[in-house]
This record gives sequence, structure tokens and C-alpha cells, in this order.
Amino acid sequence: MGFDQFVADRLDRLLGYATAITCDKHLAQDIVQNVLLRAQGKWERIGAMDAPYLYVKRMVTNDYLSWRHRKAAREIAVERGELVRHAPAMADPADAHAEREAMRARIAVLPRKQRAALVLRFYEDCSDAEIAQVLGCTESTVRSQLSRALQTLRTHELARSATLGVHS
Amino acid sequence: MNDLIRQAIAAEADERVDSRTVLANLHKARKAKPFGMIIGVATLTVAAAAAAVVIPTTIKKTEAAPPANAPVSGAQNVLLIGTDDDRRADAIVLARFETDGSASIISLPRDIHAGTGQDRLSGLFKDDPRKLTAAVEDLTGTKVDHYAAVAMSEFGRVATAVGGIEVCLNNYVMDEYSGAHFMAGKNTLVGEQALQFLRQRHGLPEGDLDRVKRQQAFLTSFAAKITKDKAPELLQLLERSIEYDEGWDLLQFASRFQGPVKVRSATLPIGEEVQRDGIQVYAPDPDQSKRFVEDQFGGGGPTETGCVN
Repeated sequence: MGFDQFVADRLDRLLGYATAITCDKHLAQDIVQNVLLRAQGKWERIGAMDAPYLYVKRMVTNDYLSWRHRKAAREIAVERGELVRHAPAMADPADAHAEREAMRARIAVLPRKQRAALVLRFYEDCSDAEIAQVLGCTESTVRSQLSRALQTLRTHELARSATLGVHS
Repeated sequence: MNDLIRQAIAAEADERVDSRTVLANLHKARKAKPFGMIIGVATLTVAAAAAAVVIPTTIKKTEAAPPANAPVSGAQNVLLIGTDDDRRADAIVLARFETDGSASIISLPRDIHAGTGQDRLSGLFKDDPRKLTAAVEDLTGTKVDHYAAVAMSEFGRVATAVGGIEVCLNNYVMDEYSGAHFMAGKNTLVGEQALQFLRQRHGLPEGDLDRVKRQQAFLTSFAAKITKDKAPELLQLLERSIEYDEGWDLLQFASRFQGPVKVRSATLPIGEEVQRDGIQVYAPDPDQSKRFVEDQFGGGGPTETGCVN
């Protein structure tokens, strides 16, 4: 597959993925643009792979998880953290939209790697093995990242339901 | 709960920017300068060090009258800084130039904590060069007489201008981030290869510390290649991107260089990796640093030579 064809097919999906893991569309745009420029330079090699998309996704993920974006990621998390704090008071449990927004905010404050694993599972429908490949870790690490993320989200969910006096 | 997670993530992903905007940017970047946008544009110690070496050599050459009677003042300590596209100091080297033209350099890892909060050495220069020189003086107990800074992006052309820079690698490397792709053993770097060699940080056993060693290897090899014939061309390449302190009398400084420069290099030992205000930094260790610098500048201490990772 040629580079231009790859971009035409996958750019939108890649932006969606990057936005979901970064929780910031501008950071996501920067990362995707830069990664694609780098990928283009060695497309001969990447294009010949079995799964170029998985490889490019790995580049995007590594870039986000790298030291470079640590500060940006923390600022985004702090911002979203504020939203989480305010969420229970404002949210109406009967409102599906509010429910979803509250979950979105909680995902945004997870550690970066846990969130990446979560997005790969629930947005990209990746297997443990594929997630391990993208994150550059073992499958058992993938499973522990995912279970920790789910544990955190569940605890928050329970706490929130209790505050609102409902059962979910 | 899984459905809720799925919906939440999809909602987050829906916030993405319009892919047509990105596509347009990609086309623009491709036409303008494909290399310019690469992130993590690391910089090299070398650029700065070379600047301090090259410029004086050149000025001396272009002066009509030989500086026969020009007094060579004592050894001078110069802080050499390689800056990235954001004017961050990515490569920081404390160099001592002896009166005979030889030099001893000590690389200072850029992630050493300095000042308060999240400040690292790398960020101080952009703020004010004097903040960086003051922090280095505090850390090393050594007076910084002058500083010179160079944009690292010039160094591909510099390597080409001297007919390639020879370096030796311990292992075969291939790194997607920097584009570095080298065989084990001797490599002669020209053009972009020089930047790739100097920028690679991923996939190295010691990360940024290995990169520091690469910068030293590059610098040593480069300094040995500077000749009077090549100097004018090098100066032309570098002069627009060099910045140095106003009080520096380069002519006088220059009179100590008689030919290719011999360089001894070492890396400042770092303290523990610690968290400061949420970021990872190396704790400064002034006592150890002072002893090390004293040893190294006094002619003792370890020297790094040979092949690098």
C-alpha cells in the first residue's frame, strides 16, 4: 500500500484513536502529523509490513507515552480532574449523556498507559496480543493495565452512584 | 459498565480535528521542509563546541597580521550549548580550553534539576543564558568565563563540509524515531546521518546518556578534522546560527589554536533519578560534581574514547 493511500484510508481513524488516548484534539493532531511525516520517510519499509496500521498506531502511542508529552498530559489530566469533581453534583443519573460525560472525564484522569490500553481494547477492538505489540509490553502487563483501569473506573462508578443515591 | 466505557471513548474520539486540516498540513510540510517538523529535535553538544572552536580558528586565519604578540590569556572555561528548534538547551558542555589549544570537555546531562519546581538545565537557557551559566557554576564550583550557543540543525551540513565525520558504534542500530540506521563498527557520517546519529535516544541502553556519549565522539572526531582550509566554509555555515556573550574577545581567545584541536571528553556523573513537581529529573550532586570537574580539568579523571552505543 502506498503512503498516500494509507493516509486516505486511515487518517481519520488514527486521529480518532490519538484523540481518545490523549483526550486533547490539538495534541492528538500534532502527534499524528509528526508521526505521519516520520512514517513517510521510511514508507518503503513500513508499507511492506503485514500490518502498517498497527505499526503507525504504535508510533503514535509511543510518542504520546514518551517523556516529551508528560507535561501536556498532566495538564490535561488536571483540567479533566476538575470536571470529575464537579460531575456528581451536576449529573442527572437518568440522563445517558451526563452518565457518559462523567465516564469520559474519569477515563481522562487514568494513567496514560492504562488509558491507551483501554482505548485499544474498547475503541480499536484489539486483542491482548495486539495491545501488547502496540504498547511494547507483554500480554500479562496488558491484562494488568486493563484490570487496574477497570478497577479504578468501577470504584468511581460505585462511589458516584452512592453519592447520587442510585444503583447502577 | 463496558458499554458505557465504549460510548465514553467514542465520544472522546469524536472530538478529533477534521482530517482534511491534517491532510493539508501534511502536504504543506512535505513541500516546505520534511525534516523540520520532526519532533524531539535533539541537539548536539557538538554544534556549540564546534562553534567555539571553529570561529576563533577562522578569525585568526582571516586576520592579516599574525597575532604574534597577542597575549594568550590563561585557560578559559566556556559553556557550549546546542539548542533545538525551541531554543531549549539539549546539549550542554562545559569546556576548558588550555593555552596550547587542547580542550577538555564535560557533558552535563540536560535533565539535571536546577533551581525550583520543574526547572532543568535544559530549560534555563531559553529564559536567560545567565541563569544557565549561574546554575552550572553552582553545580560545578567552576567559573564559566563565556558561553556560545548554536542551533544543532546546522550540523548535517557541517559534517558534509569536512568530508564526513567518523564514528564507531558497538552495535547495529535502527531507530524509527531519529531515522538512525547504522552498521556496527566504523561509520562515516555525512548530511542527515549526522543528525540521526546525534538525535537517537530511543533504543539505546542508557537513553539520553548514550546520546551524550555520541555527541562527545562526534565532537572529538569533528574537532580533529578542522583545518585552516576548511575553516572559512565552516564559519559561513555556522555564523548565522551562533550566539555568544557580548564580552568575549574571540580574537584573543583564537590565538591559542594552531591546528586541529585535541579533545578529552567525559560525562558528569549524575545523581539519582527523582520526581520534582511531577517530572523525572536527576538530582544535582554539587559535592561530587565539583570533585569530578576539578579532576577532569586538572588532567586526571576518566576519558571516554572508542566506540559508543
